[in-house]
Amino acid sequence: MIELFTYDFMQRSLLAAAMVGGLCSVVGVFVVLRGLAFVGAGTAHAAFAGVALGYLMGWPPLVLAIIFGLATVWITGWVEEKGRMKLDVSIGILYTTTMALAILFIGLMKTYNAEVYGYLFGSVLSVTTEELRIIGGLSVLVLGLIVLFSKELYFIAFDQEMAEASGVPARRIFFLLLTLVALTVVVSLKTVGAILVFAMILIPASTAYQLTSSLRTLTLYSIVIGVTTAVAGVVISATWDVPSGPAIVLLATTVFFISVLFSPKRIKHVAPAHAH
Amino acid sequence: MSDSLEPIIRFDHASFGFPGVIALKDISLSINAGEFVGVIGPNGSGKTTLCRAILGLMAPVEGHLHIFDCACDALRCHHRAKIGYLPQKGVVDRNFPVTVLETVMMGRYGALGLFTRPGSNDRAIAMEALSHVEMDKHKDTALGHLSGGQQQRVFIARALAQQPKVLLLDEPTTGLDMTAQHNVIELVEHLHDELRLTIVLITHDINMIRSRVDRLVLLKTRLYAAGPPADVLKPEILSQVYGKDLVITDKDLIIVEDYHHHH
Repeated sequence: MIELFTYDFMQRSLLAAAMVGGLCSVVGVFVVLRGLAFVGAGTAHAAFAGVALGYLMGWPPLVLAIIFGLATVWITGWVEEKGRMKLDVSIGILYTTTMALAILFIGLMKTYNAEVYGYLFGSVLSVTTEELRIIGGLSVLVLGLIVLFSKELYFIAFDQEMAEASGVPARRIFFLLLTLVALTVVVSLKTVGAILVFAMILIPASTAYQLTSSLRTLTLYSIVIGVTTAVAGVVISATWDVPSGPAIVLLATTVFFISVLFSPKRIKHVAPAHAH
Repeated sequence: MSDSLEPIIRFDHASFGFPGVIALKDISLSINAGEFVGVIGPNGSGKTTLCRAILGLMAPVEGHLHIFDCACDALRCHHRAKIGYLPQKGVVDRNFPVTVLETVMMGRYGALGLFTRPGSNDRAIAMEALSHVEMDKHKDTALGHLSGGQQQRVFIARALAQQPKVLLLDEPTTGLDMTAQHNVIELVEHLHDELRLTIVLITHDINMIRSRVDRLVLLKTRLYAAGPPADVLKPEILSQVYGKDLVITDKDLIIVEDYHHHH
């Protein structure tokens, strides 16, 4: 098994998995706390429609994925801000529309294109050096912005109106968060696929949520869980020749259920409600 | 009583709402530095709209609103950071991963601005705010593990951490038991005296605040009365606003039937 790690493709895959696992788990903290889980799912499908259009027209698929992803989150955020529609309704409509577009674009392709399906289901073991560079670059950008605006992001996740009233530019920070979700989804498409990227964002943060009552610790636990399950999932995938995306996600889900069983919060709920 | 007659919040024939739906109409009202003002009125009378206007979350559709001598028709004027706000108590997610100190530190973020990290000075301000509300020994406790009254104290501390000139409280006693209600109101009175804060307290509970405030403001879309409690709490004025829902007992307690039936 050790010799697996000497292969170039394996080293690339592990690095990609670690980066995507770390990135998704950090963004996931804010997605879970702000209640944007469905936005992650909707954006993933919109970005996939962009990839499909890219292959159909011979345009760069990742660029179109970014455009489709950003358009989806911005429209959703704008519609919510104007109070015209609830977030879950608008994202639901965009989710299904972009999925319909993706199916349409694939249908219009004259031949079967395996690469498109790679973006749907994820194929971390085939990640190229160039893709690794794109993942790395976008990861640095997203993580840098999160570090820069972390205090505002935490505040709007806790109470957006209160943040606005305190003088924090809460609406702009909310749009920044939506943008970061879209970029993260695009970065992760090739590795875990459009269907499973949502789980990569949601599960590590939700697992950490079971284990701690501090924002800092939550973020730290989420990163550790995200990176570990992503890397371990790739190793399982290579060792037993199973698809990488499902391996990562099912491993993360197992860790999630274990955390629910042993959650200190769950144990405290059995005890009297007031600690003081 | 108020320290001076320097108006720090001044509504000048101001109306608020959306096209076709006016929540507050033609309000002219000055709130002076150091005053303790109670805002009362039935449900849907525009109390929360008044609050959102002072916070800069709504601009007047007509007239003007001046805060700290600034014509704040533009939203999010920088003066807003001087207004500490306690929102109407929502349900705090028991599991939201935030400690008491982390919650209070959020009160510093507006003043710090973007790109600046909170430092030891901010932490000291947050701890001082916690000691004002007597919650400093719970600083590392998870917010969700506190009682409703204790959570309100923490949120008041968050407002104090802004080092505000005005403390704006929207229904601070709703959802608390009687003891906790009295404790919160006594705390607000204490902060008014000790920190010389201007207090704007929005409430449905007239009896709880009538003996503590300098002035009462009675709203029902329009401003019906503003003045010392004895001048505002007259049956002929109250009945205009509350109608048949108003009952005044022989002990001079004011009971608003509508509120008790619907909540």
